[in-house]
Amino acid sequence: MLGATLSRWTMSYFAAALIAFLAAELLMTLGYGYPSAPVESASTLVLVHLVVLGWLSLLMCGALFQFVPVLVARTLYSESMPLPTLVCLIVGLAALLLGFLQMGGFVSTAFAFFPVAAALLAIGFGLALWNLGRTLWAARPLPLPARFVAVGLCSLAATVTFGIIFALVLGGVTDNPYLADVVANGVPLHAIAGLGGWLTFTAMGVSYRLLAMFMLAPELDSPRSRVGFYCGTAALAVIILGGVVAICLTASLTPVLLAAGLLSLCALVLYGADIARLYRARKRRVIELNSRMAAFAMAGLAASVLLIVVLAALGIFARHVAAVAFLVAFGWLSGLGLAKLYKITAFLTWLECYGPVLGKTVTPRVQDLAVERRGIRWFFLYFGAVWAATAALLLAMPMAFQICTGLMLIASLGIVGQLVRIRRLLDVNIATRLPPGVRVPQLLYCSVKHD
Amino acid sequence: MTTSFVDVDVRPTLRAGGEPFGEIMAAVDTLKPGEGLRLLATFKPVPLLHVLGSRGFEHEMRELDGGDWEVLFSPSNAAPRPAKVDAPVIGDHGTWPEPLRNMDNRDLDPPEPMVRILAATEEMAPGEVMSALLCREPIFLLPELAKRGHAWKGAFEPDGATYKILVRIGGSRGAPLPDMA
Repeated sequence: MLGATLSRWTMSYFAAALIAFLAAELLMTLGYGYPSAPVESASTLVLVHLVVLGWLSLLMCGALFQFVPVLVARTLYSESMPLPTLVCLIVGLAALLLGFLQMGGFVSTAFAFFPVAAALLAIGFGLALWNLGRTLWAARPLPLPARFVAVGLCSLAATVTFGIIFALVLGGVTDNPYLADVVANGVPLHAIAGLGGWLTFTAMGVSYRLLAMFMLAPELDSPRSRVGFYCGTAALAVIILGGVVAICLTASLTPVLLAAGLLSLCALVLYGADIARLYRARKRRVIELNSRMAAFAMAGLAASVLLIVVLAALGIFARHVAAVAFLVAFGWLSGLGLAKLYKITAFLTWLECYGPVLGKTVTPRVQDLAVERRGIRWFFLYFGAVWAATAALLLAMPMAFQICTGLMLIASLGIVGQLVRIRRLLDVNIATRLPPGVRVPQLLYCSVKHD
Repeated sequence: MTTSFVDVDVRPTLRAGGEPFGEIMAAVDTLKPGEGLRLLATFKPVPLLHVLGSRGFEHEMRELDGGDWEVLFSPSNAAPRPAKVDAPVIGDHGTWPEPLRNMDNRDLDPPEPMVRILAATEEMAPGEVMSALLCREPIFLLPELAKRGHAWKGAFEPDGATYKILVRIGGSRGAPLPDMA
């Protein structure tokens, strides 16, 4: 069928993701992992994967099951796959974290956590890729935002492949020398393919469409946007394919990183110019919280790029790689995710509740579901705390970092509280909240009829 | 087996402001078994894909220089799917009356265009038609219209920025159209 309907399990993905997000912030506040422990320690690995898999990847998967159909104006290939996908991803993540703890000597059972994690995460992401891939494939030729998503999904496949190789080698399943080389030298490729390819590139694509939609700006598909897309795609191809070749030939990764870095710099500058144009060309003069806060997240991306360039020029990038990764994960990706969650949750809840009775009775507007002046304080606190925490990492002040992540936790709890209020219609005027035929929606499940 | 394609260029008809649906369906009816259709249009003919899909054609689209589109419809190996009752219907040989209401929803914040269109459909009588201008494809509106039993046809205007949708009240349920059977 043409058009898009509500994705049934997207709210469950969001809920699971937010729990992982809060858990990660709590661990950082308690001083778990970097900077109290080394970057490569088991505790840092637990923290990192809780953030990128538990929070960002589940958030992105849930969002894509809803928004890929919007990008290509077709229904999702399978509405029944997202639930088993979610179960595989959550259990796989748990096994992976236990595997790290086992590797660090914190869990003493002999259970083979790594191979189990590899299998479950491969199945989970495999199902997600199949479902989203088939949806995109059926909609060719793809509009520009969907092309970004397609490349993001290819990067996800690469990231997961690296991850599986790591898990199988670390879990003692294989001792193939080439794979062992990949484990020894491939961590930057795994991280860049994940943070840069899967999460950032996909978020860029989705943001083109969401910002245009929510600010009433024209859709961009100019030659400049396309050049940006090709530069970014080339950067990812260079880093992933070139990186693997370099590792197999035991050559240095530096030229590959440099080439990919220059290409991605071009892509990001062109993307930045496009986003600035979207904000300038918008018809909606007073923009909503989500678009205003998305601008803060974009600033986080710009600051990350600037930081990478400056640190690399000074020759001290390696020392501060954790600070850069922190800013990318929390200032850019999480910031954009939270800002868009605020709008998406309201919109999907509104459509689920009031869509069937629109025009038949008086219904609240989407903006009646949220109280922005309450929400915005938490967002300001969140972004302020993230930037301060990044500075604390750069200045090697672990105590200040913990205080800042504590503030991030408080802000995130505030935002999550607002999301729950939106979902439960608690801020809607009682007189119009439940017209005949409308029920309060389930927190985690979208009860929508698919014909 | 290679498919041979019959060319149908509806760009002159479209540029003259005409409705090429009859022309296309007439060409489809003359196809021999195994033959395909090569359609040239000034925009991406999204609703047509669905109609020909339900007749058992697969499509491949390609944007040409100058913003025109080439669509290759080839007979699929699978048996033609039966048309869904709530499938969007595009032009059933000109029987749609002139729109009684015309809305310009291009400057409204989403989802206000959808709200206004659905509100209007509730006030109109079966068989009546309304038209609305939008600034993007109304992705979430289309399934809701189908659910409520209204027929629609819509496409981007040649400027590529305005989406025009026509909605006919109660037009798809209860009255399957001859060309969809």
